[in-house]
Amino acid sequence: MSDKTTDIHQRRGFLKQVAGATGALPFTHGLVGGVAATSLAATAAPGAPPATADPVVGYVCFSQDEAAFVETMVNIMCPADEFTPSGVDCGLPIYIDRQLAGDFGRGAKRYSRGPWQPGRPQQGYQLPMTPEQHFKAGIEAANQACVARHRQPFDQIAPADASTFLNDLASGNVKDPRLSLAAWFNDLVYPLFTQACFSDPIYGGNYNKVFWKMVGYPGLPATNTINMVQYRGKPFPGAKDPKSIADFS
Amino acid sequence: MIKKLPNKTVVIVGGGLTAALAARQLTDKNIEVLVLERGGDHTNGAEAKLPTQRDELRWDTRQGLVQDWSVQTYTLRYNRSETALPVRWMEAFLPGEGLGGAANHWNGHTWRWSEYEPQIRTRNETRYGKQAIPKDVPLQDWGTTYAELRPYHELFEKLFGLAGKAGNINGAIQPGGNPFEAPRDGEYPQKPLEFTEAGLVFKATAEKLGYKPFPTPAANSSGAYTNPDGQKLGACQYCGHCERFICEAKAKASPEVLLYPMLKGRKSFEVRLHCHVLGLKYDAAAKRVTSVHYVDLLTGQEYEQPADVVMLGAFTMTNTKLLLTSRIGRPYDPVRNTGVVGKNFCYQANSGVSLFMKDRWFNPFLATGSTQVYMDEFNNDNFDHTGLGFLGGGGIGASQFHGRPIGGRRVPPGTPRWGTEWKRANAQWYPHSMALGIQGSCYPHRENYLDLDPTYTDAYGQPLIRMNFDWRDNELKMSKYVTQKMADIAKAVGADIVGPANPLQAPFDTRIYNSTHITGGTIMGTNPGTSVVSPRLQHWDAQNLFIVGASVFTHNAGYNPTGPLAALALRLGDDMASYVERPRRL
Repeated sequence: MSDKTTDIHQRRGFLKQVAGATGALPFTHGLVGGVAATSLAATAAPGAPPATADPVVGYVCFSQDEAAFVETMVNIMCPADEFTPSGVDCGLPIYIDRQLAGDFGRGAKRYSRGPWQPGRPQQGYQLPMTPEQHFKAGIEAANQACVARHRQPFDQIAPADASTFLNDLASGNVKDPRLSLAAWFNDLVYPLFTQACFSDPIYGGNYNKVFWKMVGYPGLPATNTINMVQYRGKPFPGAKDPKSIADFS
Repeated sequence: MIKKLPNKTVVIVGGGLTAALAARQLTDKNIEVLVLERGGDHTNGAEAKLPTQRDELRWDTRQGLVQDWSVQTYTLRYNRSETALPVRWMEAFLPGEGLGGAANHWNGHTWRWSEYEPQIRTRNETRYGKQAIPKDVPLQDWGTTYAELRPYHELFEKLFGLAGKAGNINGAIQPGGNPFEAPRDGEYPQKPLEFTEAGLVFKATAEKLGYKPFPTPAANSSGAYTNPDGQKLGACQYCGHCERFICEAKAKASPEVLLYPMLKGRKSFEVRLHCHVLGLKYDAAAKRVTSVHYVDLLTGQEYEQPADVVMLGAFTMTNTKLLLTSRIGRPYDPVRNTGVVGKNFCYQANSGVSLFMKDRWFNPFLATGSTQVYMDEFNNDNFDHTGLGFLGGGGIGASQFHGRPIGGRRVPPGTPRWGTEWKRANAQWYPHSMALGIQGSCYPHRENYLDLDPTYTDAYGQPLIRMNFDWRDNELKMSKYVTQKMADIAKAVGADIVGPANPLQAPFDTRIYNSTHITGGTIMGTNPGTSVVSPRLQHWDAQNLFIVGASVFTHNAGYNPTGPLAALALRLGDDMASYVERPRRL
């Protein structure tokens, strides 16, 4: 790869473009793995209580280049808008990093004996790679395809091109000689994205329960025996202030 | 080196629901029982305590309570010309691990199957003629009757504190209940669960169309309850963490709550945890099982456990596998149509449709595992199949069990999969959508069976069970027919948006949850040539070996199997007690 300083500078430039385009405030700290609450803080009422947990900073699974890819991807899939801050600010890359670094990434509970051969899609995943290995092999292949198409890796191309590229990945229009990038994106990357949005914040994503608030999911309250009848067919007020594992710990 | 242990009167393989029920009957008579369970006791783990119990990612998405596929999974091929491949991560069905088995993380639906169900072949031949059953559909009567099982259904429902509304009391049809229900002695032990908004919408629409909807009978306790053994259930809290979760409030009936705590206090009862059964020692000359071979997972030591009586009470796959690997009985051969072990592997033919109603608040999270309103007009043989070209059917219902947001969000067709519009659709529709679903029957097919995979092995070096399975003509036609009925109801609701109502399609998809109700492999019947066990669940080739589980069902209905499974297990407990007193063919 080229000069690291240039890479960092270019990635910072890209993120500024995204922020500018969507009207979100620029970051105030922590670019790599940063989970700044700037956008949330900017919209909070004066004197609002602080976030329930400090944001998690830093990656344990991703290299810098891999992080750049993931951050770019989640900021396209989860742009800063009226519903949530950007994907990075929601902690989505942190979630994905921790899952790939943990049991899920190592393929815990998955049958991993050979021999290996392709089957029908309905028989499920048949590759010998762990999810972590598969995720990283896919980033490398996707970046190679992106360089072939745009002469630059994914995190350095124009936002509109990056968005088109993601759609092409999902629809099978990005080819790699060895990997199915459509299966990689749809079966591995995309589920991690939705899990990052809606998992309990203890896993690093869904920062400050922003996605639970968006849909109106109350989280973990212990008992709904009365609520179930009292709010049947009506809005449930508890959905405005969701509770997570940390709130009960 | 295998260590030999002192003899036990009865050894039960698998620590799930059937083991606990049979053990209850046996230990009531002070008969010695040992249960061997491959997993641990969940009672005090993070899975059973707040707040970690309410973790959708860990227990649902990552299958925290489900069998470890890295240790043992199943292979699948759709026809005999294919090479089977391992299902490396199974989503379609989710067997349990640990004391209580899958009953720890079940929904709680509990049906008495239709009165005619144990005589399914006779019923269909009588009504439609012998030619109506295709040659490659080996429908088979069980050799017993609902009347014989009825008192055990009555007992089980009291033990588990079932909540429901009776539809048939001694032949008298009751308003508000299921008019197709098999006759029962009286009302359910507890009143039904509360209706959800989705349930009310479905109820009103179905009634308008002339159907008779009713609340699904549930093992989720609608109030505080004490069962005949003095064991207690708390009231359901409608927390939306029921299926795939252990109930930390002890409001969902399970062996871990109602049976094992009591059994452990009995002198004649013992359970050994973390014991993986590798096989049975079978004396072919004497036609009896002499011992159970297992490995202690905490130490690695292998043991031989001699027993007077052995009961297989494990999951469908495990019951079948232990017979195949221990060479008890003849494996089924679909080419010659000989042998029986592995035959009649069935599943359930399900489908669904989503509805979006911007002015109705559904609050999906205020729910529990059995908050469902159901109708039986198109289930099994409750309707006339003349000229339809298939047998069986499915129940149609509005199921609202949870609002857990990773897996429980719906967006209208055509919604982008990410970006601002994706967020907008989720924000807009999450509290305003419901679903209708079908749980459909699955009848046996000559080419649907279990055997041993020639290539793939488990963590112990033993062959994996191979599923030779796909949706066949009968189920595809049935699904198309009943799904159209469901689509008509969905349309009649008057929703703003109705999603597609797609019938079941081949090939069978292991990536999508369907139900955990797989059946067959060690089927029951009156003829040793076409069944593995007798109508009393006694193995035809081993007098002291008994099998109970969904593996003994010769077909699968449009219902959850737990009710008849429990009734059979309770009856078997009594039968084994009788056998211990005087060993004989029952």
